[in-house]
Amino acid sequence: MMGVRQRSKLVGVLVQVAALGLGLVIIFPIVYGIFGAFKSAAEFSAFPPTFWPGSFAYTQNFRDALARVPFLRYGLNSLIVATLGTTVRLLFAVLAAFAFAFYNFRFKKALFLVILATMMLPGDTLLVTNYLTVSRLGLLDTYLGMAITSFVGATQMFMLRQSFLTFPRDLRDAGFIDGCGDLRFLATILLPITKPVLVTLFVQSFITMWNAYLWPLLVTNTNQMRTIQVGITMITSFEDTNYHLVLAGVTLSLLPSFLLFLILRHNLHRNMTAGALVG
Amino acid sequence: MTKRILPVFLAFVMLLALGMSAQASSQPTAIVFWHSMSDEAGVLVEKFVKDFNDTIGKEKQITVEAVFQGQYSDATTKLNSVLTAETYDQLPDVMNLDATGKVAYFNSGRAYTLDDALKADAAYDIGQIQPITLNNWEFSGTKLGMPFAASTSIMFYNKTMLDAAGVKAPETFQDIIDISAKLPEKTADGLEVIAYSVVPNTPTLANWLGQLGSDMVNNKNGSEAMATELACIENGALAAFLTQWKAMYDAGALRNVAGTTDQFVAGQLAILTTSSSNITSLLEKIGGAFELGTGYYPKVTPEAHFGATVSGSCLVMFDKQDDARKAAAWELVKYLASPQVQAEFAAATGYVPVNAGAQDVPAYQELVEKHPQYEVPMSQLAITPAEMKSVTVGPAKDFYYAIQDNIAMMLDEGLSVEETVETMAEELGGLLRQYEQANK
Amino acid sequence: MNLPGPRGSLMKKARPYLFILPILLFAIGFIYYPFIKTFLYSFSTVNAKGVITGFAGLENFKYLFSRRDFKTAIENTLRITAINVPVTVVLTMGLALLANKRRSLSPVYETLFTLPMAIAMSAAAMIFKVLLNPTVGYLNHALGLDFGWYQSREYAIYGILMLTVWMGIGFDFLLFLSAFRAVPDQLMEAGTIDGAGAIARFFKIQLPLISPTILFVALTNMVLAMMVSGPVIILTQGGPARSTTTLIFMMYNSGYGSANFSLSACISLVAFALTFAFTLMAFYLEKKRVHYQ
Repeated sequence: MMGVRQRSKLVGVLVQVAALGLGLVIIFPIVYGIFGAFKSAAEFSAFPPTFWPGSFAYTQNFRDALARVPFLRYGLNSLIVATLGTTVRLLFAVLAAFAFAFYNFRFKKALFLVILATMMLPGDTLLVTNYLTVSRLGLLDTYLGMAITSFVGATQMFMLRQSFLTFPRDLRDAGFIDGCGDLRFLATILLPITKPVLVTLFVQSFITMWNAYLWPLLVTNTNQMRTIQVGITMITSFEDTNYHLVLAGVTLSLLPSFLLFLILRHNLHRNMTAGALVG
Repeated sequence: MTKRILPVFLAFVMLLALGMSAQASSQPTAIVFWHSMSDEAGVLVEKFVKDFNDTIGKEKQITVEAVFQGQYSDATTKLNSVLTAETYDQLPDVMNLDATGKVAYFNSGRAYTLDDALKADAAYDIGQIQPITLNNWEFSGTKLGMPFAASTSIMFYNKTMLDAAGVKAPETFQDIIDISAKLPEKTADGLEVIAYSVVPNTPTLANWLGQLGSDMVNNKNGSEAMATELACIENGALAAFLTQWKAMYDAGALRNVAGTTDQFVAGQLAILTTSSSNITSLLEKIGGAFELGTGYYPKVTPEAHFGATVSGSCLVMFDKQDDARKAAAWELVKYLASPQVQAEFAAATGYVPVNAGAQDVPAYQELVEKHPQYEVPMSQLAITPAEMKSVTVGPAKDFYYAIQDNIAMMLDEGLSVEETVETMAEELGGLLRQYEQANK
Repeated sequence: MNLPGPRGSLMKKARPYLFILPILLFAIGFIYYPFIKTFLYSFSTVNAKGVITGFAGLENFKYLFSRRDFKTAIENTLRITAINVPVTVVLTMGLALLANKRRSLSPVYETLFTLPMAIAMSAAAMIFKVLLNPTVGYLNHALGLDFGWYQSREYAIYGILMLTVWMGIGFDFLLFLSAFRAVPDQLMEAGTIDGAGAIARFFKIQLPLISPTILFVALTNMVLAMMVSGPVIILTQGGPARSTTTLIFMMYNSGYGSANFSLSACISLVAFALTFAFTLMAFYLEKKRVHYQ
């Protein structure tokens, strides 16, 4: 007979092995993509296809990709636009979520739906009119012009509201009675508690904006203002398939978001439970 | 520690934003050139522009800024946005345009057409430009732009495989059927051998209809005025093509699948029809694995003409209401269409040189000598009937996919040729009518 | 900030509106204003330059509903949504349950599970395009399969689904993980003492408590799935033979690609109406079933 403790230990080992296995399956495409960046064109056309590249010292793809695209400059542009867009988006979302979670006012439900419904309007139909607006505002070829259409984050607002709702009402009322102004309550009590959610939303939003292609292309005209996704298109040739180069470009474009993710991940996990999304 | 990371990161980004702002260079005549050339071709275009700035540009006080605007369709979206917003100052001086932007450019009200430029510069000999490529960019009797990257559909085949089977390169659909019967079932790697695999779309169907002496849509395939109806139904050309196509499929010689370059490179597919601009990359990818053969685009029937329409892109100029800029734009266009540039461009990409003079440039001659594959598109264009024009229709993408869908359905669902002709006439005709109504 | 007297109470009343104002202004300026223009397009004849040239009544809708590819697009979109939502919810919830208890290797596999979140859609799509390529791709070879995922009318839609599900794993896993970990230990222990097994505890205690998260994940995935177009544009262009044409892809293709702005306006209205109806349904369910503490 196995003891209870022994049994739970065995379960623990099994769970971890299973989780690791699943984790490896999940990240397989990423690893495959990065490995592909180290393969030569000939390796790609060879049959049967391989998983490991012939040599990790083969960096010609990266050099070619860098020769075709000024990744550093484009990366910096993307960084600025994504950070600007994400920051303002979260700021707006926090304010609105705060109002929806803690106040009662007329048209609350309707206004909430109005903002939420923005998620359901396909972005592509808005392009031309927004181009017109941005050009009338004189924002063509500026970082603000690239970021401005992403200031509305309904998902973010919705999630923050859910998270704010978990905050016990009596505690908030106590805070208000203390003479703690509502903005101060928001800044000093609520936000620190919600930080894990905020960080998660920041990372998610940042990566979406890092990914933007058509809009930044439309509103910028100069090489200096291009973003990283345009750079990737510069590598792909559309009548042909040069997988090795594309994957090198993809790998390069992944680096910054990866880095951000790994840095913030630590933060995002440690006290995630504090602001969890439970009822 | 980690608490600090986000604020520090934010502050860092803000600083970056402050420190960076786009600077424009101000030279006597600065012009902007939008292009859609990526990969190898993109690198070359940037180099051509740099060479221009260092030579003719220096001499004539012109600086060109080349800006990549995404793929052709993205660039056209952008052009449309600028035109709709009427922010004409955002227009470039020269733009690299494919067929998707032709009509938008024609209607832009800011076109400085090739005809306009030729009128202003009587000394330029337009005769050096290959007529068939030039005609491709004509609309309503006006030469809109200068051909730049010209290509045409040709046939590639795995010569090693055909030789081993003891057959010659095919010329007609029937030849493909015959060859298919003699090919081995499996490759050395154990992959199933496929004779031919493609799904027709707008340009390829236009090729095959053109071989039968028929246009796809009226007004000379939409090159003289807006196409309003199909031109291949009553004359039976569509039915004739579909009959042959179905025969090829029923004989097991044809796979109903598009996008098969990889299978060709892997030695699984015997025959590939695609743009001639792929010659260089195909040679590179195949390496020495097998011998690459090129031939004319296969014919529907033995009686049909050889030939295929021109595709690719051209250079158009915009009227920025400044004569110096127009003159500068024209200088750039002339340079990019010069024998030297066209020879170099062709050699590196597989595009067909649009300038006849390119054939006298040693670099190009050496190339053709070393890889005779490069000669096929040139000679095919020379024998392609002049009335074969590429198709310009308003609902371009819907048209493209409706053709693919209907032909794929015919084979997959076993529909008859008559049924397919009927649904195609209805669907494609409907698209044209709808467009005509909205754009009277 | 706290002003005395009636002005103060007015300020107080106005305050929630002030908080909502920024997001609302931008929503109006950059989403609703262009959308209303779209709305007008759907009842007008619009030329290829995007200029309204006349009133069309319901003609555009009639034309849209008569098109064969519209029916296909609706079917494909609903199919993607119907598969994507439950698969994502069950998969990410399962991963979160597996990872719920902190163990020595937790940081490792938690990172692995969340990593897809760090990958941009276009980058992921390019990788999948290579991975699932029948000739040069590794997946078929590794699994001993022999068909083109994105070249087959039957399987292309699953190839698209693989990508959309994969992209959602990271974020949704994180949401479920935090939800499970927020379930108070005492409740679970009380369940154990009452003799409830792991399965009973899951259905009786955990599931009701995390129901808001389930709603949220299902809702966001539903909206994303109804709006899916990016992966389709990159991977299949709606093909082969329209087997992966979604509503938004059709909008993109028939609108921008074919200069039929009134048609694309009609499609986006249909997509919006469907999505909105589903959302209202979800909220109705929320009221009835979802458990808030």
